Amino acid sequence: MSSPTGPTSTAERTLRLRDIGPARRGTRPDEVVIALSPAFAGIFSKTIVEVPHAEVLRQLLAGIEEQGVTARVIQVHDTADLAAISHLGARLSGSGISVGVLSRGTTMIHQRDLARLSNLELFPQSPLLDAPVFRQIGSNAARYAKGESPEPVPTRNDQMARPRWQAKAALLHLKEFETIEAGRGPVEVELDFELSSAG
Amino acid sequence: MELVVGVDVGNSTTEACLARVGDGAVTLLATALTRTTGVKGTPKNADGAVTAVRAALERAGVTPDALHRVLLNEATPVISGLAMETITETIITESTMIGHNPATPGGTGIGVGVTVAIGDVGDIADGPEGPVVVVVPPGWDFDDVAATLNAAVDTGVDLTAAILAGDDAVLVTNRLTRKVPVVDEVAAVEKVPLGMLSAVEVAPPGRTIRTLSNSYGLATVFGLDPQQTRQVAPVARALTGNRSAVVVRTPTGDVTDRRIPVGELTLRGEARTVRVDVDAGAEAIMDALARAQPLVDATGEPGTHVGGMLAQVRDTMTDITGQPASEIAIRDVLAVDTMVPAEVRGGLAGEVALENAVALAAMVRTDRSRMQAVADRVADELGTSAAVGGIEGAMAALGALTTPGVERPVAVLDLGGGSTDAALLDRDGACVAMHVAGAGELVTKLIDAELALDNRETAEHVKRHPLAKVESFYHLRHEDGTVQFVQEPLPPQVFARVVTLGADGPAPVPTRLNLDAIRRVRRKAKRRVFVVNALRALRQVAPRGDLRALDFVVLLGGSALDFEVPDMLADALAPFGVVCGTGNVHGTEGPRNAVASGLVMAYSEAAP
Repeated sequence: MSSPTGPTSTAERTLRLRDIGPARRGTRPDEVVIALSPAFAGIFSKTIVEVPHAEVLRQLLAGIEEQGVTARVIQVHDTADLAAISHLGARLSGSGISVGVLSRGTTMIHQRDLARLSNLELFPQSPLLDAPVFRQIGSNAARYAKGESPEPVPTRNDQMARPRWQAKAALLHLKEFETIEAGRGPVEVELDFELSSAG
Repeated sequence: MELVVGVDVGNSTTEACLARVGDGAVTLLATALTRTTGVKGTPKNADGAVTAVRAALERAGVTPDALHRVLLNEATPVISGLAMETITETIITESTMIGHNPATPGGTGIGVGVTVAIGDVGDIADGPEGPVVVVVPPGWDFDDVAATLNAAVDTGVDLTAAILAGDDAVLVTNRLTRKVPVVDEVAAVEKVPLGMLSAVEVAPPGRTIRTLSNSYGLATVFGLDPQQTRQVAPVARALTGNRSAVVVRTPTGDVTDRRIPVGELTLRGEARTVRVDVDAGAEAIMDALARAQPLVDATGEPGTHVGGMLAQVRDTMTDITGQPASEIAIRDVLAVDTMVPAEVRGGLAGEVALENAVALAAMVRTDRSRMQAVADRVADELGTSAAVGGIEGAMAALGALTTPGVERPVAVLDLGGGSTDAALLDRDGACVAMHVAGAGELVTKLIDAELALDNRETAEHVKRHPLAKVESFYHLRHEDGTVQFVQEPLPPQVFARVVTLGADGPAPVPTRLNLDAIRRVRRKAKRRVFVVNALRALRQVAPRGDLRALDFVVLLGGSALDFEVPDMLADALAPFGVVCGTGNVHGTEGPRNAVASGLVMAYSEAAP
């Protein structure tokens, strides 16, 4: 069989978030809420290891869709704390399941009945998260929403990730922190994926 | 009046019973229980025995120098070993079949066409050559696959189905203008033969495929003659129960279900020698054993699997007893049929088939019990005298008699880890004891293998504790269907999982099987070992081998504490009019401490 010749569409998409009003509590039991940090697809457009935000969201959504579950995306503006973002998403989710994502890539699956600082699955090492992992995270979140028992996504661990990326992660966090708008509630967003001609 | 303590060294626990004996009366003072140190019957047991005695003395508030005598049991002279071997295997040749069950296939229905790589779909657009099934290698994005397929359909390609490497089936089908069945997660998709006629079938959710799992369905799809239909019958059978499947028609492709020759088991009895092929299954082996009874030794054909299995058992025995392998005689075997999930050879998507396997428990008699050495060390440590005495079975029966509502003749059934022991104490105080191979350890092994856990600890949990499904952080559903709410939220790692409800709280069972399937495996394993062995052992001690001649059967040993085994045994013995239940030694100790108590009682009866 010939080697893959398909265009690598991943690098070509850009993402714009369009606010469509305050985020409300969902009622459908078959939805997963994806909760984004304040600077996601705003002043930042890719994660700490340059995975485009467009690709992060596309893979999370694909993982959820493959399981036959629907997704709703919200953006949180008054905090850049992953646990707070994810828990807020979970409380707004019809199924009680959410995926929270920071601009640098750190991700968490949360459930509304859990304590805020707890979680179902946490992916703390943002430099190790690539497109296939985001797909699996989306897929697992959807399976929790369906009441299934997915095997947790295997978390990779790299001893060197800390010394190598800590400084950059700290800078990215500060930058994200500056975009916090205290008092602004979470908003529901629509996604505009655009194919850029740059390639 | 004398102060004596009976000590029973078991495979896993050491028990002590402290009592005041005099004038034919026994006054229980205290009991104690601790973990056995070292292998049963070896001098290392002394440490555990001393600990148990000290604990009992402390509980009764007596000093060691008041102690008159320590009584130790003569350890049951049997040790058992286990082995398991798969006896069938499924082989797919020429990559003719994909029968794995991806969680989320796409589309529904059946599509038949010639296999074409997605990279070549553009080239056939000019001259459509009939229906095609597109094969997509790894690395293709779902948006691109959908776009390529839609474009091909627009140019006139007759797309009927697709086979994907990634987990993209629903994503691709959602984006197709013409909906076709799509099977995904085919890891070795590059091995799918191209240019061959193939059929892809996906059933709606909750259904199973109807055409490819039917021999005549395959004959219709591929236009087969009766001879060829006979050949594809195994393919149809292999796909039964799947929600999706792919069958590729290649010149000599086949699916075979092969029996692995595992060798011959030779059972040498006192009267005659019987040979049996192990791949004939457990029933045939147990039949052969019944004909060879009483067994003198069992051997496996050298160089075969069964030879290896028995050699493994003998090696373990040698390690434990220090006896040379040539002197070790296997006195009983228990064969159990089981189904073990195994990866299919030649499979393209990590297909798993349930293969037949036989598990063998073998029991060995040893004559080198070193209890006297243990007794000497205990006597030294405590500064008192110690004696070994009493056959374990008889002692257990004496101890069991302290259970309220029991009288002679009484049969005891000791459900241990390695062997199941039965003893019958008749009205005159005469006792017969019998040991058969197979008990708790074999159950654990069967559960481990059938659930493919590959973790003895988890299998042990499944065996010991009831199951439940955690449905939310605040409620779980037990295996009988009742719901229990909890006040404190359950830990996140058990969310949405099947758990065992042990003393340490819920622990997840890492398997894709649902609660009912796990429960079925657990109960089946217990029934095939404990019920079969209980009947086998009791028949051997019952007068004239007649179970109806028994009146009282008292269950003892660790497995008598199991939450369902006693009920299973009571059910199995009920038709014979036998009173069967878990023992309650002294009316307080449950099925524990029977042998230790029996030692004290025997001492009291023998004392003037």
